[in-house]
Amino acid sequence: MKNFNWSKYSKPIILVVFVIVLSILRPKAFLSLDNFSNVLWSVAVIGIMVSGSIFVFLIGGIDLSIATLCAFSAVVVVSVTHMLGDTPVAVIVGVLCALAVGALAGAIHGIIITTFKIPAFLVTFASQSIFLGLAMVFTNNKIVSCTVPAFTAIGAFKILGFPLPVYFMVIIALLSWYILRKTVYGRYVYAVGGNPTASEISGINVKLASIICYVLSGLTTAMGGIVLASMTQQASSGTGSGYTNDVITAAVIGGVSLLGGEGTVPGAIFGAVLMGLLNNGLNLMSVPSTHAGLVKGLVIVVAVAFDAMQHADQSRKKVKKIKKASA
Amino acid sequence: MKRMNQTTMRRLVSIGMLLILVVLFTILAGSGKGKFFNFDNLIEVVRDASIPAIIGVGVTFIIITSGIDLSTGSMMALVGMTMANIYAYTLLPFRVMIPIGILVGLLCGLINGIIVAKFNVPEFIGTLATMSIFRALTYIIAIRDDNGVIMSQPMKHTQYAWLGGGIGKFYYVIMAMIIIVVTGQIVLKYTRYGTNLYSVGASKKAATLSGINVAKTRIIAYVITGFTVAVGAVFTTARLQSATTAVGVDFEFNPIAAAVVGGVALSGGSGDVIGTLIGALFMATLENGVRKLSINTAYQYVIKGAIIIAVVIFDATYKARMDRKAREEGAKEGLE
Repeated sequence: MKNFNWSKYSKPIILVVFVIVLSILRPKAFLSLDNFSNVLWSVAVIGIMVSGSIFVFLIGGIDLSIATLCAFSAVVVVSVTHMLGDTPVAVIVGVLCALAVGALAGAIHGIIITTFKIPAFLVTFASQSIFLGLAMVFTNNKIVSCTVPAFTAIGAFKILGFPLPVYFMVIIALLSWYILRKTVYGRYVYAVGGNPTASEISGINVKLASIICYVLSGLTTAMGGIVLASMTQQASSGTGSGYTNDVITAAVIGGVSLLGGEGTVPGAIFGAVLMGLLNNGLNLMSVPSTHAGLVKGLVIVVAVAFDAMQHADQSRKKVKKIKKASA
Repeated sequence: MKRMNQTTMRRLVSIGMLLILVVLFTILAGSGKGKFFNFDNLIEVVRDASIPAIIGVGVTFIIITSGIDLSTGSMMALVGMTMANIYAYTLLPFRVMIPIGILVGLLCGLINGIIVAKFNVPEFIGTLATMSIFRALTYIIAIRDDNGVIMSQPMKHTQYAWLGGGIGKFYYVIMAMIIIVVTGQIVLKYTRYGTNLYSVGASKKAATLSGINVAKTRIIAYVITGFTVAVGAVFTTARLQSATTAVGVDFEFNPIAAAVVGGVALSGGSGDVIGTLIGALFMATLENGVRKLSINTAYQYVIKGAIIIAVVIFDATYKARMDRKAREEGAKEGLE
């Protein structure tokens, strides 16, 4: 077993261990069919969002406005549907409006960040406040509910026992995996994240590539907002609070480097599944949500420190090999 | 005319932005009693700015090393809650509790520093994690009533109340801010440790090669931040006369925003504490002025975000122009 590559299989092993631990601790509650779809819902929302946000992380950016943009788009879809008379057509228009809001927000982020060369962290921090304000303006700071069947179906409708959001997640994840792996644009994204100056010199339109990344992130965030609103049948300025951290954590656990240039969609989806299981497990163990941060925080630190240590190990081994060869 | 130093220029620009903001709100929100521009309200602005400025001193040290600390808000809540708990159980006098609070702050800072500098976890992620850890710990140690509802911990102690006040309108927290900012500036500009901070921020590799213990320098910066956060927590609990789990929610961005507005580059290696102080005053003025506009809170959020973006854009374009000018002048000198 000397040559067993731990880093290659560490992710599936962690998942299996996690599932086994949970099934031993809470056999009845965890292994039920109801709970299974609970986990899937939770995973789906994070998975949808991280499939788009990964583009931003890959170019070395960050999006701190995920939670409030999610709230704003949830509010938009519910308000527009309500304004147009709660018909199925109104739902479609509402969904399109929310997606447009997400894309537009992403485009504005991207344009400001690339044109003025401002850290993404600052711009999205400021816009977080703006989206929160806009969500409050639209709802008059109340909770707006929407129980139109056509709308609630988005979150609740099941095909072959799986809720619709799971299919959305799979489709979006596959799409973003395809874009990143099989298209020229995907190569550009990794190149820009690895070294923006070198990419610029080698003829990549870094600005455009980056803006598209932010647009994609905005789009998936809006989708997450729509799904969340549909699942809970309501929207408010508090919809999706906490998701900024969950999405970033999912990406980081999945091996996406926030410094850019490193990470894959399957990794990020693994992170989303782990986050979903973690949220669910903490819930089943009746850990109050206020205490859950302790566990989540420790998970991040351990995961990232482990990753960093492995990297250091590998580079040390490489240096040793080179030294040996030269000797 | 002697050419002005770039740092001095940047300082003048941030003071100018602060003045413009004051004039703007004086026009929009009015002057006189109960309005924006009057002595009482302006002192209130300085008082509001003092805690972000105190904590900003530590955060500035970290940002100069090209790091970041997102855990300051949660750390503040944890320090306050620990003090309140010990007070509730032991009724010890406050001169005992304050050192305990400071100790908790130092320990939190040390944990951050070790995670970041020893385990090589990127600062952003590491402190994002400790942000939720410290907040959760605050909830865990909070004292609950029989129904399991968290009580806000009263800290009604005459000596403690004294700390929340001041000599007339000259609050003690403002004095503490002045002392800490001046000390921070001296450490940064006139000690070897301060110079080391700048070297680490400019290039970790170069700093290591020139014999600086980079990990130690970074850890100390986090410990100093822990100290300033503890001081901030002491004054916050003194002012509120209680500790709650909600202290410092979303606070962590305030000192960072103050530092950035004051000209501390997030990429590290530049800026100073006085700049952060001006930035903190700017943010407090913005917060207070928008509130005095007496409009819907929803629009207050929008305006706040928009102004921050505007300032950051202005700063970035200004800096780009200055850099270009410096380069052109350098080229000219080279030709001569």
